[in-house]
Amino acid sequence: MKKSVKEMSSKWVKIGAIAVLVFAFACGGKEARLPIFGERVVQGTDTVYHQIAPFSFVDQDSSVVTNATFAGKIYVADFFFTTCRTICPKMKTQMKRVYDATAELPDFLILSHTIDPEYDTVGLLRDFAKRLGVESKRWHFVTGVKDSIYRIAQTSYFATAMEDKTEPDGFIHSGAFLLIDKAGHIRGKYDGTLKEDVDRMLIDIKRLRKEYGE
Amino acid sequence: MANRLYWLLPLALLSACQNEPKYTQYYNEGQQLYEKHCSNCHQSEGTGLGLVYPPLVNADYMDAHADEVLCLIRYGRKGPLTVNGKEYNQPMPGVPLLTDLEVAEVATYIYNTFGHERGIQDVKEVGEQLKRCEK
Repeated sequence: MKKSVKEMSSKWVKIGAIAVLVFAFACGGKEARLPIFGERVVQGTDTVYHQIAPFSFVDQDSSVVTNATFAGKIYVADFFFTTCRTICPKMKTQMKRVYDATAELPDFLILSHTIDPEYDTVGLLRDFAKRLGVESKRWHFVTGVKDSIYRIAQTSYFATAMEDKTEPDGFIHSGAFLLIDKAGHIRGKYDGTLKEDVDRMLIDIKRLRKEYGE
Repeated sequence: MANRLYWLLPLALLSACQNEPKYTQYYNEGQQLYEKHCSNCHQSEGTGLGLVYPPLVNADYMDAHADEVLCLIRYGRKGPLTVNGKEYNQPMPGVPLLTDLEVAEVATYIYNTFGHERGIQDVKEVGEQLKRCEK
């Protein structure tokens, strides 16, 4: 009697263990996929997700930066300007942390757009990047036509960026960091002024790389 | 001569005694103002950022240019400056809304944190210096 109880319980332990494993695998696998932001359109059996629109800007090396620059790469995008004294310095401090933490990742880049392209020229961005101590091949600081920058911020990245003379620095913009996957889909949005949120992003970058088997 | 030394005694005692309520009040208010107006760039720990924003930690510039530091807190500063052997050149916007007392509080905070120990930066002397700033 004693023995059979032991056998019974060991059987249940086994079943329980398998159940836990199956649960962990199924749900863990599901949990590992990051959401895709934005509208989606179902066309027959395909779902078309919101994607970053075509763009063409110039970076701190005077190189043209387009969607092709990020082909096969995961990247994080943000919007700032060098003379901003409010949230940008915090964002840049956090982004520098991201830059340092991703030094070993060959498929990861950073894209920072200036929203004050009249002041933030290529030369100024080059100086800024140099002073920050970052390499242009991993962190592109881009400038371009102002309207194009504002449009891509608002319609592609869902980030606020516009001029407003009533603001202390003359601009309204969000401190968001946007995580973009290799297909140009937004997979995460984070507050680039908060260390905790940027920590979450660093974890999500790892999760996203796992989707690509990295 | 003896007369002059006599005057120095209470001053020395005053600066030695940093736990007095006035110092604590200056320091605490200064810390809040620093967090609000300065820490975005110079960081809460005073480390600055790369060669963009200079550090306050052990900054030789703060010792060599104490008068100017008071001015730049309120009026900002443009042009290159060298801190601990490294050159920086990012324009710093001032905070013109700060009163003499608030500048003194910020100064008291930064000059008794980040490796500095200058004691209280009294509003009287700070106010006198602020009048001499080139605007």
